[in-house]
Amino acid sequence: MRVARACERLGLDFACVYTASDEQSGHVALGRQLRGDASVVRIQSYHDANEILSVADHCGATAVHPGYGFFAEDFRFARRVTERRRKLIFIGPSWKIIQSLGDKINTKRLARSLGVPTVPGSDRPVYDELEAEEIAATLFAFQSEQGIEKPLVLVKASAGGGGMGIEEVYTIDKFKNVYRRIRNYAKRQFHDEGVLIEQRIHHFNHLEVQILGARGGADIVHFGTRNCSIQSTGRQKRIEVAPGFAPAEVSYNFDAAKVLGDIVDHSLAIAREVGYDNAGTWEWMVTPVGQPFLMEVNTRIQVENGVSAIVSKIKGQGGVDLIAEQIRLGLGDAMGYGQSDVALCGAGIEYRIIAEDPAAKFAPWVGRIDRFAWQGAPWLQMFTHIPLDAPYEIPIEYDPNLALAIIWGKDLAEAKARGLEFLGGVELAGQDPVGSPLRSNLSFLREKTASILEFH
Amino acid sequence: MIDVKQLLEEIKASPFEEIEVVAPHTGVVRFALKEPGGKVAGPSGSHLEKPGTAVATLERERNLKTVYAGIKGDLAKVYAELDGSFVEAGTPLCLIRHFLTKSEAIDSILKKVLHLFYAPERAKYFFIPEIDKKIKALGARNVKVREGMELFIASRMKRERPVAYTGPEGQIYTVYFQYEQNVDAGQPLIGVCPESQVGLIQDVVGKVQSDWEERD
Repeated sequence: MRVARACERLGLDFACVYTASDEQSGHVALGRQLRGDASVVRIQSYHDANEILSVADHCGATAVHPGYGFFAEDFRFARRVTERRRKLIFIGPSWKIIQSLGDKINTKRLARSLGVPTVPGSDRPVYDELEAEEIAATLFAFQSEQGIEKPLVLVKASAGGGGMGIEEVYTIDKFKNVYRRIRNYAKRQFHDEGVLIEQRIHHFNHLEVQILGARGGADIVHFGTRNCSIQSTGRQKRIEVAPGFAPAEVSYNFDAAKVLGDIVDHSLAIAREVGYDNAGTWEWMVTPVGQPFLMEVNTRIQVENGVSAIVSKIKGQGGVDLIAEQIRLGLGDAMGYGQSDVALCGAGIEYRIIAEDPAAKFAPWVGRIDRFAWQGAPWLQMFTHIPLDAPYEIPIEYDPNLALAIIWGKDLAEAKARGLEFLGGVELAGQDPVGSPLRSNLSFLREKTASILEFH
Repeated sequence: MIDVKQLLEEIKASPFEEIEVVAPHTGVVRFALKEPGGKVAGPSGSHLEKPGTAVATLERERNLKTVYAGIKGDLAKVYAELDGSFVEAGTPLCLIRHFLTKSEAIDSILKKVLHLFYAPERAKYFFIPEIDKKIKALGARNVKVREGMELFIASRMKRERPVAYTGPEGQIYTVYFQYEQNVDAGQPLIGVCPESQVGLIQDVVGKVQSDWEERD
């Protein structure tokens, strides 16, 4: 929906696709409303590149925006879009950059070559059980040598993402079972048995740096940092905050302003090295003593881009739309501003409102939404695909995300107060097929607001 | 007690199914059969390796995909007005009136005789790896299930949870779900034949084999 609105803002025509399960989604209604029935086309699957490209040809599109997932970080898709007989523009970095940075191991090697700190662990997907055990044993031994009381190893599906297919192992004895479970899960879900094994960093904060580059890779700017540490038990982000720390309002055991500056500098160093040429996010973990490690680079615009946009001004103008910027730059426009023209003002909080049960390990809830309403405010941006004038059945094929609420305050305290005010006014009701009431994470979001950006 | 004869009579009274053939994906459709009334064949061969009658083609990304009649029957309706146009996924292309075969008639009755274990929620279902291996090696009918046995993995939104079987002990007689396909809540996953029902099942099969007349 935000891509459609960004096209509208830029005065561009667009068509969008949907699947049978998403027929009631707001993006379908919005597409029809803005560009008519013919611009909304039902496809068999979002995973099928042929579908997207055939619709693009049918509609006469000149560019493809891959959204936030599926094809957004798939260099083969980006390459196909740009090198097929009827060439299209891929709204994202060039495929070679996606290929280079999308490979977590390659990114790790590049980062190390530039002196950027990275997490200790395997330097490629592991397919062999004995090799996996050897790496895990080495990591346990390394942590013991470092004096870590409870060494922990992270086993994750190499082809996974978004926090799915990750488990922790506390002893080498249990490693084999977890390894096999993740390998089987990866095979079922991603059709790739590759597994990564890394040292688990305890109690870290998850920070991000928002980067934007123009085609050619010479003009690169950043839009500051975000803190995405408030997550579900499955490591799914639930609250994102910009900037990443608030040293003026919260005390830290380390020089938080310096850490923010360091991760921005490190991120820009990598971006410049590869000639980064569109929107991207550098993901960092910061330990309780302020040691940053680069986790990975997401070569795409992320869901939480809006919280960076809401605290940004370009040449003194607010109302920044990073998706519109991404599209504009993707189409080949010049940046038109430099880093000194970008100002970061106040604090932003993004709440992901999701139908799930935080008390039951954030189990997704499926059913019908009967009522969804909130009180508008000038400091609030609300994005939702849920129709507000009719009941909505949540499709099980996709995560039960209901809305993104982005709040701005002149400082963190004001943003938090406004966040609580907003959450208190949300009305959300529905029921599942057996009549049980809707479950949501609203109370979790309220509870967590108090400790936003605190790091003990 | 289940009256097999009566169940058979009920099916005989309405021995047809109407199956809509839809565009599996987007593309420009060309119909091979434009007029209703003809007969179409379903897949055949010992491994169903021979496709049925081609009813249309879809051209997408310079690739032609043939759309086959997935089942034997009479072509009741053809949406020939779509010929040459770009269609969305799921667009109905034609309608086939299918006369139930012996095995379909048996399946239909068995659904009323076997103990059906239903999907507790809409999800993709997999057998747990140990059972999956056994089924692939020996066939489902060599797998015995009992109350409380962890049998399935339900996958929903990439989250997985184990699902235990509830019901009488017996052998898996029929598997109703397919790999990587979503199953709606309340749809049967497996049909289990308790040992006490083996005679009845054989009776059903025998009765249909002798009484059901297949149509060409």
